[in-house]
Amino acid sequence: MKGIYILGGYPDRGRFVQSMRAVAEAGADFIEVGIPFNDPVADGPVIAGAAMETANSGITVEEILEDMESCRRSGVRLFAMTYCNIIYRYGIARFSERCRGLLEGVILADLPNRMHSFFYERGLDLPIIPFVTLESRGDDIVSASYSPGSFVYFIGLRGITGATADFESTEMTEQVVRVRQHTGKRVVIGFGIKNGDDARRALALADGFVVGTEAVRRQGDLPALREYLEGLLQTVPAGDH
Amino acid sequence: MRAHNGFYGEYGGQFVTETLVPALDRLEEEFLNFLRSDEDRERLDGYMRDYAGRPTPVYFAENISKKYGFDLYLKREDLLHTGAHKINNTIGQALLARFMGKGRVIAETGAGQHGVATATAAALFGLRCTVYMGRTDAERQLPNVRRMKLLGAQVSVVEIGQMTLKDAVSAAYRDWVASVQDTHYIIGSAIGPHPFPEIVAHFQSVIGDESRVFFSRRGGLPDAVIACVGGGSNSIGMFRGFLDDRGVELVGVEAGGRSPLPGDNAASIGCGIRGIFQGCLSYVIQNGTFQIEDVHSVSAGLDYAGTGPEHAHLHDTGRVRYTSVDDAAALTAFHELTRLEGIIPALESSHAVGYALRQAESLAGKTVLVNLSGRGDKDMDIIDAMTGGES
Repeated sequence: MKGIYILGGYPDRGRFVQSMRAVAEAGADFIEVGIPFNDPVADGPVIAGAAMETANSGITVEEILEDMESCRRSGVRLFAMTYCNIIYRYGIARFSERCRGLLEGVILADLPNRMHSFFYERGLDLPIIPFVTLESRGDDIVSASYSPGSFVYFIGLRGITGATADFESTEMTEQVVRVRQHTGKRVVIGFGIKNGDDARRALALADGFVVGTEAVRRQGDLPALREYLEGLLQTVPAGDH
Repeated sequence: MRAHNGFYGEYGGQFVTETLVPALDRLEEEFLNFLRSDEDRERLDGYMRDYAGRPTPVYFAENISKKYGFDLYLKREDLLHTGAHKINNTIGQALLARFMGKGRVIAETGAGQHGVATATAAALFGLRCTVYMGRTDAERQLPNVRRMKLLGAQVSVVEIGQMTLKDAVSAAYRDWVASVQDTHYIIGSAIGPHPFPEIVAHFQSVIGDESRVFFSRRGGLPDAVIACVGGGSNSIGMFRGFLDDRGVELVGVEAGGRSPLPGDNAASIGCGIRGIFQGCLSYVIQNGTFQIEDVHSVSAGLDYAGTGPEHAHLHDTGRVRYTSVDDAAALTAFHELTRLEGIIPALESSHAVGYALRQAESLAGKTVLVNLSGRGDKDMDIIDAMTGGES
């Protein structure tokens, strides 16, 4: 499962749509579309800077969802990644209704697994993808298995997006093995994947990866984005999709 | 605990990245152990008494009372070591950090008072310390930046967003996610994910408890108790002493800034709506595209787009009345207290005093307690800039 994160509306709506198409054409299995929020505490300088700029430009959630719909025909699977306030304010049930058939799930950076019920109880009818981190304890991992999400989002480093994951660490490999054993879900490694080498190592260890910062960095320059995606996605073996 | 499953009514919760969940659980466990341990509580009481200077006096401000026609009492948190109520919480949380075996603490700061109080506790307990402060605040509260550095803290100046308290909190979270194994984040306001609002309120409730004892001994509780509200630590600490005393009117004073227009104030309850911001569900100042709105206050400590979840709940239940005082009225109160009583208040606390002075007519003949949460030495540059040095 090869996933690419693209920031909605960045650097403008036109180039956002073109970036999504480029990702779909390059052979990604899924796209995580970031809906910008101007307090992006889980993000490092590249995504945070772009998100704050876009969030403050006045773009609406509705506009980003419309742009995502224009990419539906490509057949690539779509997820939304954002912060709780965006969906809370849009209206949780209303968001769910609006995104039925469009999104396969949502990833909420500031929503830990134990708080998923807050959204489900208020009418969210889309799966929330659960997280497992290097800090997760046995019970946390087991609880992730109860999620309706189609995979586990594994945060392979302590830090924010744009930092570097350490694939040599036994801490990380052991934790991924535990997650696979206890959840029976596919494991996708996010945070810290920068290049083809990282992607290969992620696929050797887990079932998939997501690249964010390096893609967002190139959203303003489509030829550079295409070249990067080609190098990233075609040098790594096809996932199980 | 007043929180139930981490919520005050519908407000609160734990809206943080999954990585921090084990650390929050560990913190809650350590806090509950602390509450159960007589020895630990006595240790904190010892530091509060011999190091911080508790109990603080309740002072009858005779000259203001005479001029304005009501009896004004001031809870003198400004007399505490480091100059504000913030030390009540930082000593408590630094002890929890030590119990958890953490060798480093981090903090956010707006006015610099919480940063100084954290740096002080870190020096006392031999902890490494980094304080995050927005550039705007670091410039307008320079004396506190100097104090933190002298105390051995690293001051990390934040240059994103409006470069104020919100951005400092975000920067502190980013540090904590990466450093959580050996670092405790000492949040300074009654904000953030559970159990922080509860821990901060607990350590600050000494303010209300002492005040209540003072008035009980004197023979009657005050008619009104007033405190300023940004994130809401001094106010929740004061209010908790009187929540069950239905006859005591409780008033929280937010920063009215320049005007009620978006971007011009920091009155989260008055001008905000429900939202999820920096760890909890509460009232948040935000715009029509669900983004956090810019805020403004003359006082760096109140210049924040959110407020504590317990305040949001107390607003909804009606137990506390929340109102606001603008920059100009806070400045007037600052000068009145300085000239008439010889007490230079922090600009934050000046908002609470400002409300009392504005309401003099309706408060006539009543007994009013204002929490003087900090002293104003740090605000000299702002005062000079606002008055052209003519104050």
